[in-house]
Amino acid sequence: MSNVPSDWEVVIGLEVHVQLHTRAKVFASSPWGFGKEPNEQVDPVVLGLPGTLPVVNREAVEKSILFGLVVGAEIPERCAWDRKNYFYPDNPKNYQLTQKDFPVVVGGQVEIELPGASRNVMGEHKFIRIHHAHLEEDVGKLSHAGSGSLVDYNRAGVPLLEIVTEPDLRSSAEAEAFLRSLVAMLTQAGVADCDMEKGQLRCDCNVSVRRRGAEKLGTRTETKNLNSISSVRDTVIYETARQIRELEAGRSITQETRGWNAELARGYVLRDKEDAHDYRYFPDPDIPTLKISRETVARLAKQVPENLYDRQRRYVEKLGLPYTAASVLVNDRALAEWFEAAVAAHPTNPSGIANLVANDLLRDLAASAGAAGAFDEAAPAPVSLASCPIKPAQLAGLVKLTDDGVISKQQAKEVFTEMFKTGQDAAAIVDAKGLRQNSDTGELEKIVKEVIADPAVAKSIAEYRAGNEKAINALKGPIMKRTQGKANPVLIDQLLRKFLA
Amino acid sequence: MAEGFDIDHLAKLARLSLTAEEKALYSSQLNQILGHFQALADADLPATIDDARVVDEAALRSDEPGPVLGAEAVTRIAPASRDGQISVPRVVDDES
Repeated sequence: MSNVPSDWEVVIGLEVHVQLHTRAKVFASSPWGFGKEPNEQVDPVVLGLPGTLPVVNREAVEKSILFGLVVGAEIPERCAWDRKNYFYPDNPKNYQLTQKDFPVVVGGQVEIELPGASRNVMGEHKFIRIHHAHLEEDVGKLSHAGSGSLVDYNRAGVPLLEIVTEPDLRSSAEAEAFLRSLVAMLTQAGVADCDMEKGQLRCDCNVSVRRRGAEKLGTRTETKNLNSISSVRDTVIYETARQIRELEAGRSITQETRGWNAELARGYVLRDKEDAHDYRYFPDPDIPTLKISRETVARLAKQVPENLYDRQRRYVEKLGLPYTAASVLVNDRALAEWFEAAVAAHPTNPSGIANLVANDLLRDLAASAGAAGAFDEAAPAPVSLASCPIKPAQLAGLVKLTDDGVISKQQAKEVFTEMFKTGQDAAAIVDAKGLRQNSDTGELEKIVKEVIADPAVAKSIAEYRAGNEKAINALKGPIMKRTQGKANPVLIDQLLRKFLA
Repeated sequence: MAEGFDIDHLAKLARLSLTAEEKALYSSQLNQILGHFQALADADLPATIDDARVVDEAALRSDEPGPVLGAEAVTRIAPASRDGQISVPRVVDDES
């Protein structure tokens, strides 16, 4: 956490660049993907060779619209593309196709959740407004080697949605929470994979500070090309401290573009305002303005999944889940849907199911996958349910056996481990292992009577009869011992109360 | 007409090194060009997107991957290359 002096306020706006989940590039049919040999995913349109014309990929447009609908944005009737001109070898055409005046998505907001006082307490919720999102092409990749630089155009032309927030974020924690929430929404809707290790999500971070209560925004700096959530957090902390230090020393903040060195945890100046680029934007003459039909918008609206915090509220309020379990489940749409399928098979104990899913199932899945969190170092790795040996209805069956008193909660853990190993039904494992609790009233009645008659427990009986409810528990141990732990605890309790009444 | 630009700044952005005579010549030519654009900007036109250039979604391409050139063909058209990549003078400023 950053330690911002209480009389200062930090104001943050983010520009998040997300590679959209498509097979072909945004204006060309060249395929794209991570880990290919350099320049193997390039065609004449990507290079802007003479005689070629860009044509917009429908899937890229629809994924952009879907994002807009996920955040409750307006989808304008028309959107258009512009040329952003600059000389730099990451761009084979000397201009980047982007949307300046008529973006595909306008407005919207993202709900965020800040960390609570502890793991099991929900933190504050806020809404961060989206200014707009525009669909553009990614640029090539440069690597610097000795006196020269090498260019790989595989990334050039990959569909990139640039999501621009209003300056609504007020701390590094909020910036972090915003990115987590945004990543969850993008991945759950299938808009993007957001794998930061593959460079699928990159961030520019605008930071300014002002005296608390001041209305006018301070001069901001923009730190470009941050490729992890922790880099964004560290940049905000670094820039906030630097700007406050400058201002308190009587100096002013220069409006500048900065870079971030994650290894040294230090920012540096790339260029100041004097060197700011003049991109000479103008409407691209090759791509006509696109009219987006309301039918398309309505069709895509049906694909919008339940918002993760709406889902969280439903789990806590309607299903009675503890916050800890609900917050784990809603972060992964597939996991939440798996959980809901189990609840559908056994609707009377959602919390019992949630606890097994959020604790035991996730732990065993993570152990079998051995994967680390790629897009976010602090978050648990997304697990693959496709290879999960237990089906939702089987887990429901296990919880039902526990709820019916057939096995104890302790035994349920043992059965779960076996189910995960073998994929067998809970009932089959319970029978094979002889775990079924003894519910034979006649035999149990005999044992209960014998235990009650034992002078060793006379004191506990007297206490119970005198009104100490808990004293009855002292009698259960000896009964369990004599039945080798197979007696149904619910039945024991009933019988004890009957005989001691 | 007052100049609406800084010729030194423009020359720097365009990576051009100009003599004093060239600066004077290009400043006067740029002023003429900007004058023409000012005339266009002053014309009373509706501030909407040009209707003549609007297409519907039928004009979009499907998300079907097509053929690629291959690194060999891509690097062949470049002045210099190395290990399947295009080789350029060292650049440091990060634009993307």
